[in-house]
Amino acid sequence: MRGLRIIAILCAFAVLAGCSGQGAGTSSRSDTFIYAQGADPRGLDPAFVDDGESAMVMANVYEGLTKYNDKTTAIEPSLATSWDVSADGLTYVFQLRQGVKFHDGSPFNAEAAKASIDRQLPPNDTSNMPYAEFTFGYVKSIEATSEYVLTIYLTQPCTPFLANLAMTLAAPIASPTAIGKSATGNLNENPVGTGPYKFVSWEKGVSVKITRNDDYWGEKAKIKNVTYQIIPENSSRSAAMMAKTIDAMSGLDAPDVAAVRDSGAQIFEADGMNINYMAFNVTREPFNDPKLREAVIRAINVEELVSSLYLGYSMTAYSVLPTFMPGYAPSVKPFAYDPEASKALLKEIGKEGLAIDIITYSNPRPYNSATGTKLAEAIQGYLAQVGITASITQYDWADYKGKVAQGEGDICFYGWIGDNGDPDNFMNLLDDKDRSMNVSGYNNPEYHDLILEAVSAPNGDARNALYGEMEAIVARDGVWLPISHARSMAAYGANVSNFFIHPTGSIFFSQITKS
Amino acid sequence: MRKYITKRLIMLVPVLLGVSIIVFAVMRAFTADPAASILGQHATSAQIAELRNKLGLNDPIYVQYWNYFKGMIRGDLGTSLFTQTKVTDELLGRFPATAELAISAIIFASIFGVLVGVISAVKKNTALDYAGMFGALIGVSIPIFWLGIMLIILFGVILGWLPVSGRLDILMTPPKITGFLLIDTLITGNIDMFFDALAHLVLPTVALGMYSTAIIARMTRSSVLETLQQDYIRTAWAKGLAEKAVVIRHALRNALIPVATVIGLQLGSLLGGAVLTETVFAWPGIGKYTVDAITKSDYPVVQGAVLLVAFIFVTVNLVVDVLYAFLDPRIKYS
Repeated sequence: MRGLRIIAILCAFAVLAGCSGQGAGTSSRSDTFIYAQGADPRGLDPAFVDDGESAMVMANVYEGLTKYNDKTTAIEPSLATSWDVSADGLTYVFQLRQGVKFHDGSPFNAEAAKASIDRQLPPNDTSNMPYAEFTFGYVKSIEATSEYVLTIYLTQPCTPFLANLAMTLAAPIASPTAIGKSATGNLNENPVGTGPYKFVSWEKGVSVKITRNDDYWGEKAKIKNVTYQIIPENSSRSAAMMAKTIDAMSGLDAPDVAAVRDSGAQIFEADGMNINYMAFNVTREPFNDPKLREAVIRAINVEELVSSLYLGYSMTAYSVLPTFMPGYAPSVKPFAYDPEASKALLKEIGKEGLAIDIITYSNPRPYNSATGTKLAEAIQGYLAQVGITASITQYDWADYKGKVAQGEGDICFYGWIGDNGDPDNFMNLLDDKDRSMNVSGYNNPEYHDLILEAVSAPNGDARNALYGEMEAIVARDGVWLPISHARSMAAYGANVSNFFIHPTGSIFFSQITKS
Repeated sequence: MRKYITKRLIMLVPVLLGVSIIVFAVMRAFTADPAASILGQHATSAQIAELRNKLGLNDPIYVQYWNYFKGMIRGDLGTSLFTQTKVTDELLGRFPATAELAISAIIFASIFGVLVGVISAVKKNTALDYAGMFGALIGVSIPIFWLGIMLIILFGVILGWLPVSGRLDILMTPPKITGFLLIDTLITGNIDMFFDALAHLVLPTVALGMYSTAIIARMTRSSVLETLQQDYIRTAWAKGLAEKAVVIRHALRNALIPVATVIGLQLGSLLGGAVLTETVFAWPGIGKYTVDAITKSDYPVVQGAVLLVAFIFVTVNLVVDVLYAFLDPRIKYS
């Protein structure tokens, strides 16, 4: 009997506590936006991180000299109000915004901007700054010309440079006072920028909290507080969305969409700035033969594969560039699916009954939710239909990257997540000397010249046409078989307006309202 | 007894040393290169090589271990390769969450496990016994992950009785004294927050405690059944004692000795971090943190976490051994 009494007391406690728990937070819920994401930020110093979770917080706390348009990757003024680029494309003179203060009260000026960038340039940079080389690799020197004029000298013309300066990684300008406090960047735990929100707290594994910067130079944030709640498991995040304990969530799984929508939440879907592709190892037999590559591409029904693997949450890719990016050429298509033509080609080049090695990764990736293994198995099935026997070796992602860099396998699977919205960021992969970027080992002087010409050409139709030409070359040579572009998926409450995931993956919370 | 405890505590040193060497070697032999993961998608082979050099990963393994060892004996478990934060601080910051959940789960499991086990034994081969043991079978076979999700959907989403994730309402800022929310909220007299923390503890406790409950129930049943066959129990019956007195005062106390071992072992492993429960309920403990570190090859974090878990496991076992002496006065340590 005593046992039963204990159970009854425990149950009463639980119910009582449940009621109390639900009531406790409701009072301040109206001025707080709770956004659930899958992991803690790696850190909050833009110089030392490369992950989406860190970027999601930093995009609202820091600002760069330039910024992206709210909805597109077009470049707009931010902490720099205007800029002049010299005729040779080597000198950028930025006029800086006056009267801006960092969250710690330090004034923003040319010296502050210089300090933020200088620490990521040789000899000050350190080997654990993942984006320093990408963002500032072309910077020769930087000069605080006057209090509000900053001059940056490049080693060679680089049109994407302005886009680089708008990125959430590496580029944001941090308070020089905060940078000076610690060599490793105590910013990593306590970020200080000029953005519409100020950092409040970070409880590891639980939440990051930011609050409105009432001294912000621009339009003030509409929602007072933003809390990033860490809920690692996608299903648990969906459950929290359905229970209405959060206002929005990232990483919505396709199978959960219907249940989350039925609970009253809204679903956000947009094209993602990424590419999921299959690459041939063109540096050696057998795929140094373009005809064999064509035969393999013609054997694969990419549209069918994408719709069955990704359930409509990825779009079929026809080219390297996502469709919304400047330079995307709608006329470019890979060799069409035609198994009979594929068999005929194999016969013509004497490769009937060919056996090949495929290597792949065993885990899901942001651009391939189905895992590399599933994708490789689907391709294996198509190849079997034209008489090609493919063996699959799978590795976990970290090991896999090493294998790809060593040129292992005849075919591999890879992907890319766009960084800055510039087409060079994608197309340059096929010209990179490093095998871990250029996983096919593609080396084409014609393509190389186009890359060099386009990287320094001013933005506009002529530059876009150059990228279209490059896309046509990749399709003609059959170096990659573009598979899909994963869509950005998120859920947000019925009472939330202006929720938008930017093509770069960030969410600018200052625009969001909640009724 | 004091001599025995001292001896066991001294034994901790070689155990921890052995564990540190094994985990150090295993991480380097069987996991991927952390430098590649740290540098992300833009990393070139040259940058990876440079970072490996900077992190000392190209030094001979005994040099790397010696450097680690020097820090370890000072209580410095190093810095996370990814977040650049002190491993000791991260682990100590997260451990109270794991401990609170583990203790809560073991209390739940002990109460219900012993209760079901005793009832099953006393009512052997009746419907109650079958129901109890069938429940225990379900308890050991049900996947924690699935159970967690089902509990969340039923009690969190459909009925809306209990919170679905975390240790506390996300808008509340907990007091920081011991890290144990139930204790800290009581100390500061924050009753609302105490009940909120308690509500958050219910579902993870049930999910995590289910397996241990089943194990304890089975162990209790067989142990009580065995004890009930003993001569002194027959004597107790013959003396005309009531059933309650025979079962509780005479049988249960003796039957609980092997049960205590099981409870101790269960607590030890629960304190090691319940990865799945922590993941499903967004519980900020050391389990999920350690597994993330393994997948990223964050050597210092994994090494530190394994050392901490080994220390806890050995200590909990020692406590259980000492408890034997109290449960059974015949047991003497020297």
